[in-house]
Amino acid sequence: MLAIVISIAVVAGIGRSIRPYLLASVPLVASILLVNTFFFPGGTDVLVRLGPIAATGAGLTAGLQGTLRVVAFALSVAVFSLTTPTDDLLVDLEKRGLGRRAVFVIGTAIQTVPRMLERAAEIVESQRARGLDTEGSWLRRIRGVVPLAGPMVLGALGDIEERTLALEARAFSASGRRTIIRELPDNVVQRVARWVLGLGSIALVVAAATGLVSLP
Amino acid sequence: MSGDAIRLEGIRYQYAGSRSWALDGVDLVVRSGEIVGLVGPNDAGKSTVCLVAAALAPAVAGGRLEGLAWLVDGPTSELPAHEAARRCGVLFQNPLAQLSGTSATVWEEVAFGPRNVGLDRGLIAERVERCLELLRIGHLAPRDPGRLSGGQAQLVAMASVLALEPRALVLDEPTSQLDPEGTRLVGEAIRRVAGETGSGVLIVEHKTALLASIADRVAVLAEGRTVLTGSTLEVLADGSLPELGVDPPAAVRIGRTIGAAGLPPGLADRAMAAITAASA
Amino acid sequence: MIAAPITVEAVSFAYPDGTHALDRVDLAIEPGQRIAIVGQNGSGKSTLVRQLNGLLRPSTGRVLIGGEDIVARHVAQLARTVGLAFQNPDRQIFAGRVRGEVSFGPRNLGQRGMELERAVEGALVATGLEMDGDTNPYDLGYSRRKLLALASILAMGTPIVVLDEPTTGQDARGLERIRRIVADLSADGRTVIAVSHDMRFVAEAFERVVGMRDGRIVLDGTPADVFSENEWPTLASTFLEPPLPARIGARLGLGPTATDEALLAALSASD
Repeated sequence: MLAIVISIAVVAGIGRSIRPYLLASVPLVASILLVNTFFFPGGTDVLVRLGPIAATGAGLTAGLQGTLRVVAFALSVAVFSLTTPTDDLLVDLEKRGLGRRAVFVIGTAIQTVPRMLERAAEIVESQRARGLDTEGSWLRRIRGVVPLAGPMVLGALGDIEERTLALEARAFSASGRRTIIRELPDNVVQRVARWVLGLGSIALVVAAATGLVSLP
Repeated sequence: MSGDAIRLEGIRYQYAGSRSWALDGVDLVVRSGEIVGLVGPNDAGKSTVCLVAAALAPAVAGGRLEGLAWLVDGPTSELPAHEAARRCGVLFQNPLAQLSGTSATVWEEVAFGPRNVGLDRGLIAERVERCLELLRIGHLAPRDPGRLSGGQAQLVAMASVLALEPRALVLDEPTSQLDPEGTRLVGEAIRRVAGETGSGVLIVEHKTALLASIADRVAVLAEGRTVLTGSTLEVLADGSLPELGVDPPAAVRIGRTIGAAGLPPGLADRAMAAITAASA
Repeated sequence: MIAAPITVEAVSFAYPDGTHALDRVDLAIEPGQRIAIVGQNGSGKSTLVRQLNGLLRPSTGRVLIGGEDIVARHVAQLARTVGLAFQNPDRQIFAGRVRGEVSFGPRNLGQRGMELERAVEGALVATGLEMDGDTNPYDLGYSRRKLLALASILAMGTPIVVLDEPTTGQDARGLERIRRIVADLSADGRTVIAVSHDMRFVAEAFERVVGMRDGRIVLDGTPADVFSENEWPTLASTFLEPPLPARIGARLGLGPTATDEALLAALSASD
């Protein structure tokens, strides 16, 4: 499974972008491996003995299986988010009935991040110019939390008011469906693939549950 | 009443949770195709007048309203915000705070309003193109709205408000955060909009010189009350403006200074003529 | 109080994204001078003043205050010498009461007790906020919040004061107050540097005007010099217009008349 995910990633051209995700999963992978290898219940084929605990072959196999599953799962989520532009995702969700408010909240949250970062930078500037020490001891820096976070929060709250007015002034709360103006590229191949994958997954689950197929 | 874009009669308004009246006797009329300026010191209530005129108060802002507020087709009482938006467009001081934050391009941003009311795609495209053309910002259509200069962002905000084809426009200090070039662009755009769409425009400004060049009439607000209204020339030349806390346009101020200086008539006349010519 | 001279020496600056904001700028500011920096948005004026208190550091060149290169001093240290009042007050206000907000700056500089109280009180009086010591800053309107932001810098008592667009959003009374503050600071021997769009404010309140375009200084002189007819083409290239008295004076052939006063004097003299 992991091989499939990684090859999809390479094909999609994001091979390099998933490296940080792989690296991030290393601590988790390591701990799963260690715990399973040394503490797997019922393992009898001992490989190495370290005092009271022993590494078992069965444990190692279980550990490897576990890590592969976890990494495959995490990577597939990563691949999804890296290959699906948020805008397109939101348009599709809206087409399928997701309300305008939810779309707005998600869309805005993403676009707001760079603005928030800019604003944070401006706030830091203003307070430093008033003698706030951001380069000294960490005790000093803790004192800066309120003067730095304060304007951020207050500004965000004030923003909400202005934003609400501006949104209402453009009929945001009108009832009924919004007109979709974006075309999402779609074709027969993609549609067929969606059906096949969807039905195929259900079939697999059923087969595994009824014991027809045993999954690794 | 017909032909009035905005009509406020005997308006009193109190913000929610406040014990004082932010507005205490406001009378104001803006006719179709007319540009009316609103001036006054900073705590007079000018922004509140904007919210009431655009039917955002009390509908969205809460609070208590007394008196008659009329917007294009009828009174504003019981008018839901999205309906009010189709009658009246509003622009605030800060260009960036008015962006929806969900549009990747200026084109989409301008389409935001029409999308909300469910207009069909062909009509939306028509309106967006027309508004971009009216404000001469067609070249900004593919740009990221978050990365524009202040003046450009204000023009985009204006276009997106115009896309709902309101018959009235309320502008609350639209040029205060802009540099002189941005101010000039926005001033020209406002004049064009009033002329070509026949919308009635209410504009709050400190820059009385800007009002002198685009407004037909001006009202002065002090302590929640309209204290002076009339044609632009009349009001901006009125001697009581300074004590009401309003700076008259430079031409008026200088004209007054020279008039009071006791210069010989020939020289004074030439000076006055130069003032008029230089401020055109 | 004697302020130190400021020397900007061949300073160039480019932002991390590559935008060149300053191009070998040279500027010498005398102690106690009142100098206005004008230009379009993007001309480099805000970038230049941020070089003076260390918020931005030159890519090449140096900034000297009192003959000493400031590159080694932290922003927090430079805040003793250079006070910078920003354009947007809402990017700094965090206290629940006006008095608390104003005392933040002087506190950071180590002021306490009577000294602190006097500094805060003085700043409140200068900005007309003495009756609002216990008011919540957000209960003040925008233009009074701007005055509050200015007060919080004045209270720091720095010998050099920089104002970034102090007049935007101000009404007539606010403008008057700011003019008076500039005059008082100068009378006190402090250097006042303002970035501004308001040509009348610039012509009336400042003794030197520096015009910028594309990261360079293109104009430098008294208001009378800078707004005189032969500089109009340069002014136009920065999208700025000379104030009305100058345009009137030019029409009447009266020589440089950047302010109402100068115009009146020239008229009376021409008789």
